[in-house]
Formats: sequence, C-alpha cells, structure tokens
Amino acid sequence: MSIERTHQTRRRFLSNFAFASGAIATGLGSWVIRPDWANAAEPPIKVGIATDLTGPIGYAGNADANVAKMVIKEINAGGGLLGRPLELYIEDTASNESVAVGNVRKLIQRDKVDMVLGGITSSMRNAIKDPIVVRGKTLYIYPQLYEGKECTPYLFCTGPTPAQQCDEFIPWLIKNGGKKFALPSANYVWPHLLNEYARKVIESNGGEVVFEEYYPLDQIDFSATVNRIMTNKVEVVFNTVIPPGVGPFFKQLYEAGFQKNGGRLSCVYYDENTLNINQANEIEGLASCLDYFKVLTRDDPVSAKIQSAYDKDFPGNFLFAAGSAATGTYRGLKLWEAAVKEAGKVDREAVAAALDHAKIAEGPGGPAEMVPGKRHCKMKMYTAVAKGGNYEIVGRSDGLVDPKEC
Amino acid sequence: MANAFVASFEILSFGAIIVLVVLGLGIIASMMGIFNFAQGEFVLLGAYVTYLAYSKGLPVWVGMLAAPFLVGALGFVLEALIIRRFYAAPIVAMLGTYALGLIIRECVRGLIGGLYISVPEPIGGSIDFGAVHISAWRSTIIAVTGVVMAGCYLLLSRTSFGLRVRATLENPALARASGISTSAIYGAAFAFGAALAGLAGALIVPVFSLFADLGIRFLIQGFVAVMVGGVGSFIGPVAGAGVIGTLSAALPWVMAPVVADVLVFVLAIAFIKFRPQGLISGKGV
Repeated sequence: MSIERTHQTRRRFLSNFAFASGAIATGLGSWVIRPDWANAAEPPIKVGIATDLTGPIGYAGNADANVAKMVIKEINAGGGLLGRPLELYIEDTASNESVAVGNVRKLIQRDKVDMVLGGITSSMRNAIKDPIVVRGKTLYIYPQLYEGKECTPYLFCTGPTPAQQCDEFIPWLIKNGGKKFALPSANYVWPHLLNEYARKVIESNGGEVVFEEYYPLDQIDFSATVNRIMTNKVEVVFNTVIPPGVGPFFKQLYEAGFQKNGGRLSCVYYDENTLNINQANEIEGLASCLDYFKVLTRDDPVSAKIQSAYDKDFPGNFLFAAGSAATGTYRGLKLWEAAVKEAGKVDREAVAAALDHAKIAEGPGGPAEMVPGKRHCKMKMYTAVAKGGNYEIVGRSDGLVDPKEC
Repeated sequence: MANAFVASFEILSFGAIIVLVVLGLGIIASMMGIFNFAQGEFVLLGAYVTYLAYSKGLPVWVGMLAAPFLVGALGFVLEALIIRRFYAAPIVAMLGTYALGLIIRECVRGLIGGLYISVPEPIGGSIDFGAVHISAWRSTIIAVTGVVMAGCYLLLSRTSFGLRVRATLENPALARASGISTSAIYGAAFAFGAALAGLAGALIVPVFSLFADLGIRFLIQGFVAVMVGGVGSFIGPVAGAGVIGTLSAALPWVMAPVVADVLVFVLAIAFIKFRPQGLISGKGV
C-alpha cells in the first residue's frame, strides 16, 4: 500500500514537473515587435527569428536578434515591403534542440510567419529545418558560417562556407606561415567537414598536414597537443577547437613558445568577440578569414554606416560580429527583402524563386548575391591578423568568392 | 629527456588543479555526507570575484586574496539558511545544492553576458630552461596547491579545532555529548570547503578564462575523484583527485584524446566496482 502511494506521488510529481518544465520551455521566450504603422487593406508581413537568446551562445543569438530588429525597423521606416509593414516574431531556441523545435512550431503554426531566419549551430539547423521547411512549408534562411553540404530546398544559407574560408586563406597561410599544418579540432560535425576541405586545399598548394586530431568538446587541457605541435615543428596551427577549450589551448601554445619560434596561429571563426578569450599578447599574429571585420569600417563607408547604426541602437556586450552570424543575418534579411520586392508577394514559391538569384549592392563587408540554383551566397572575404587586441586586414578577395556548394 | 620533463610538468600541473578544485568538495562530502552540487559554482564565484577586482582596476592578486574569504562567507550564509535544513535527507540536500548551483551559474552568466573573458595572471609568461618553456603561473598553482594541502592537513591533524572536526565526522552524537557544537562545526566546515573552492576558482581563472560553465566543467571529475579516493577522510578525496587529474592529463599523451576522455571514467568505474570503499577508506585524517 505504501509502495503504491509513493508511486502515485512520484508519478504526480513527475507529471507536475513535466508540466512545469513544458510551461517554462514554451511560455517564455517569445517576443513580438509590431510596426508603428499599419496598412488598412492588408495585414503586416510576418518575419520569424529563431535564435539562441539564452544558453552558452546567447551572446551570438542576441546579436542576431538585434540585427533583425535594426533591419526590420529600417525597412518599416522606409515604407515597408509591398506597401505592407513588417512584424517581427522572435523565439528563443535556447541552445537546446528540443526546446527549439517547440518554439519554432509556435512561429509556424501559431504566428504563421512568412519566413524564418535563424539557428546558429549546425545541430540547431538540422533540428529546426524539418519543422520549418518540410512540415511547416515555410522559407528558411540560415545565417551562420558552417561546414557546407546543406542542400535542402527552400533553405538558403547566407554565411561563409569552407570554400569561402579556405580557398584564399590557406595559400596565404602557406606563404605567411609555412607548409607544415596541424589541425587540432573539436569533435563535432563542423571541424570534421571543414578539415576535410582544408586538407584538400593544403595538399593541392604543396602543404602537408602533420596531424589532424579531435578532442572532446569540453576538454580544457591541451598539453599533449601542444607538445606534439612543438616537437613536430608545425608551422601553421589551423584551429577548430571551440570555447571553452580554445582559450587554454592558445595560452598553452603561447607559453610553449609557438609564436616565438615563428609559428602561425589561425582560426576561421575568430572575430571581435573571441578576441577577448585570451590576452592580446597570447594570440598576437592569429589569422582569421571572415566576411566582415569591424576594422573594415575605416575604409568601407557602407560597413561603417551599418556598424554605427548597430552600435547606436545596441551598445553593450552583444557585438555585431561575423562569427556570431550577425553579418549573415543582415545579409539574409536584405536578400529576402530584395526577393520579396521582385516577387511582388510573400508566398513561398514566388519568394524562393526570386531569392534564388537575389542580389544586394550594400552589406557588411561588401555586396552579396545568391548563386542561382545553389541556395548559397557569394560574398567578399577578408583575411585579418590580430595585432595588439585588434584586427588588421592583410588580404581581400578580388571579387565575390564562390561558396562552391550544392 | 626535455620532452619527458615537459610531459611530467604538464601532467603534474593539471593534477594540482584538480586536487585544488576537489579539496573543498572532498571536505564537505567527508564531513557532512553531502555531495555539494554547488561546489563548481563556488569555484566559478571565486573566478568571478577575481575578474571583478581586475575589471575595477585593482591588481589581480587582490581579487585572488579576497575570493576565498568572500566565497567562504557566502558558503557560511548558505549553510545556515538552506543546507542546514537538509542534513536528515542527503538526497534532497543534493538536489538543493544543485538548485543553488544553477541559480549562481545563471546569475553569473547574466552578469558576464555569456561571454568568455580573459583574466591576466599576476605572474605571467614562462620559465625557460634552454629550449623548454614551462608556464610560470602553472608552477605557482602547483606550489599553492602544495601549501594549501599541507595547511589543511596540519589544521585537521594537529590543532584542537581539527580534533573537534574529526570527532564530529566520526561520531556526531558522541561529539555532541562531549560538548562539541556539531552545528557550528558543520557551518565552519561548509564555509571552509566553499572558501577552498573560491581559492581554486581564483587561481585557475587565468588559465581557463572566465565563463559561466567553468565550474560545472570540473564537477563530474570532482565527484569521480571523491568516489575513487573514498569518502570519510581528508586524504581520500585528495588522493582520488591526484589519480583522476593525472590520468586525464596523461592519457591524451599516449592515445586519441576522445578515447582517453572516456577511458578515465571507465577505469574509475571499474576501480570502484572492485574497491567500493575507495583508495583510502575513512582512516587517518
């Protein structure tokens, strides 16, 4: 009898618990930003943003949400799209795929948004693409740099691909570092696929991969790795270890004298946020290759305008940085705007057909255009080197770099 | 030769870091029979205090000195307000400390904006022996760990306070009957354990940079260390921490790191299966 009663209370406890966690998971974390004007004849166009506002990569998700607020505000101030104002729906994906799928369904089923932009990690994209594209029959734009090979119809990628981050960067590294590469990596999909591509480029340019090694995502001691790098006389470290491991790794490399011996550190997701993980002297000379660096604002008036508009609206911790997908978000929204204008309506088929070849003349880092039939984006790429806690641009692509996907 | 020296230094330094983190956890687990799930967050708070002092323009070592006292004081308050109510139900106490840890962690995450922030070490750079460079700060951590361990040992084995602590640990009812205020001892022990965690956090933040999940990173390793070492003494968890820390730093030198990561836990589980009382089972200090 007593056993039965404990069972019952436990079951009740569990169901209450499940209810409470469900309420927490779905009730909070929704924001609607309504335009300050309306079109009497037609309802507003609904834009959905699903991004990681909370959790370990909350700094990136908040930056993306901020960019969306800024762009939507700008479009509304300019008279909206097709004469209709835009309404912004922001949902938290909370760095948790199961929470994310529920919240994305809310965007699709409850709010009936016309387009969803968001997701930062590849696992998040894979979790939410099906609810959006297949079951939700909605357009999906993914803004982050990633490992490539995402060829789902109605899914458009506006961040850099391995080809864009390696084709110009690795020859530069060989010229300004050396031929002996080490590829220390976190053990998940992005480093595996990026390394596969990088290895091809390294070898076709006469370089050599001394070792390619994968570590648990939470590993924070890299003494064995650093030792291998030092004893094998590696000249270029092409790093895809991610936080929290990357800070201690770079520190240990520095302390072992890697840079002092002429070694070149490189990491293709390094932007203005990640600069702060280490002290400036520990990562002096680190090279990165992205579609945007803040230092570009000095000689590119368009970038300067976007950056200062962002900084004015959102001063604080959430930086407008390429590694956070902030630039991909900007590009994605602007390309979608161009596509809607061309299509003259917001239904998925028409917008996807127009987005397939959409172009924008002005974006962070330069113009951008979709490659027809590929659902990936051509953009300018920049190579930058860390100097005294800032970046210095050392290389620019001649024109728009091809993503070489799909 | 140089290579072997570097390897043993690096392994020793990571072992020392784990020992430092586990010390407080072990004291609380042994003394009070509670696995403090908030221990990782006390480490995080120690790191955060250090960062706070640094960001206010104070020298880093000031924050490092203040961290154990502030975190210890917080531990004392939490023990009196919350933990004390759960001594009769260790499982509930565990969940309670987990909740506390969650609250502290998410508060810190909010305060630092979810970012990774570097804190410089008071003694930076490296010590060079010819072609071999070893980190000055890691050497300092090894030294401090040695001093703290010796200090704790002397405190517990040679002072009258230590005697009362051990009496409370061994037989609380008899200790109370002999006029020892066990609740005061529990409060002091919890505060002391928290202070040690605070110190650990302060010392390791220059190595690992400050981020909200800093503490939780060490929590699992800490528990495994306590299990391997054996609950019920001061020496047990320290020995366990030494073993776990050394293993997790040493194995990646000889095999794929992803395998090494799992193997540490497999070895620990196998060990506990055959020697459930742990390396050193509640004897001595």
